[in-house]
Amino acid sequence: MAETSYPQIRIVPARFLTPDTAETLINKILSTTGIRRIVLNGPRVPEIVPYGPARGTPNVVAQRREIEVMGETIKLQVQVGTILIELEDETPIPEIRKACETVLTNFPFTLQEGRFMRSSMTMTDYAKYGIVEDERILGIVDPKSKTRPIILQGNK
Amino acid sequence: MAYKPQYGPGTSKVAENRRKQMNPAVKLEKIRDVTDEDVVLILGHRAPGQAYPTAHPPLAEQGEPDCPIRKIVAPTEGAKAGDRVRYIQFADSMLNAPSQPYQRTYTEMYRYRGIDPGTLSGRQIVECRERDLEQISKDLINTNLFDPARVGIRGATVHGHSLRLAEDGMMFDMLQRCVLDKDGIVKYVKDQIGVPLDKKVAVGKPMDEKWLGDNTTIFHVLGGNPYRNDAEYVEYIQRIHSLRTKYGYMPKE
Repeated sequence: MAETSYPQIRIVPARFLTPDTAETLINKILSTTGIRRIVLNGPRVPEIVPYGPARGTPNVVAQRREIEVMGETIKLQVQVGTILIELEDETPIPEIRKACETVLTNFPFTLQEGRFMRSSMTMTDYAKYGIVEDERILGIVDPKSKTRPIILQGNK
Repeated sequence: MAYKPQYGPGTSKVAENRRKQMNPAVKLEKIRDVTDEDVVLILGHRAPGQAYPTAHPPLAEQGEPDCPIRKIVAPTEGAKAGDRVRYIQFADSMLNAPSQPYQRTYTEMYRYRGIDPGTLSGRQIVECRERDLEQISKDLINTNLFDPARVGIRGATVHGHSLRLAEDGMMFDMLQRCVLDKDGIVKYVKDQIGVPLDKKVAVGKPMDEKWLGDNTTIFHVLGGNPYRNDAEYVEYIQRIHSLRTKYGYMPKE
């Protein structure tokens, strides 16, 4: 079961971010200490057209690219619209807000504190996924997905 | 006294814009110049220059039955030639796009013949004979019903009308059929169903915020036109709602 007492924040920019901006922003955020988990959310941009007459053909999207975060390469599967972060404690929040203010200059954003990741499985989760062994991804991504979470080296 | 349609209630700018689009006496403002060939490429139903495939022989050869209605209604060019029925579909952003699905359907029904529009929450499709479709599509793209950034021509995978815009102001499109190029012009790189095109098809510069604000047909708090500010519109909707609830569409109060 995921620990329930860690503070969480949600960053919602007024516009969807390009991979360039997302990369800069995430690197800035991750340079602060005390981040446990981070989720990049947004509408999916799949590599293969999933339905419609062009189904099965490669989905060529000029903007799509892999982003480099803390030395790890991340394949972006979404157009980043929301960033969820779980922290060790509340101290880095002002620093994260500052990072957002430096990068997201052309449009506003909101930074909220609250509970945005699931702390325990719901009945529907059990019905859909069974027992989820990797509790780090609980309520964050589809446990049946073959992609695994990316472990970034801490900077403590 | 001859009947004069009012097209819609309301005293606000949005209501006025809606009436202007619907009223066939008001000429749609021509803004951009997308060529016939470009339209054919975006639609993706046939190759440019290819003859129109037919669904039946031309009416003149086919021999029509003796029918009074056929004598009254003149066929459109496409119907006369026996063209196939094809479609164009639009997705309009809720963030001040110049037209909206219901609005599009009303507009097209008032302005064009021989069409079959289908209205959904986030998209609007219009079907008609192929050569008529190309003319209508050209009208719809070249005039003030279209904005390259906030209106998408999407035959499939239309999701995006209610989402935030991208950083460059484009509406989200999973297939990214159109891109804002470096020269500031929006270009289609895929046809409406997402098949890549051999060449980019330019559809012009995105309109600025002021134009979009002045020409919008959607009531939206974020767009600066809250519905509640138009008392006449609210009164009208409340009246319809009350009549419908109390009398089930019977025309008495």
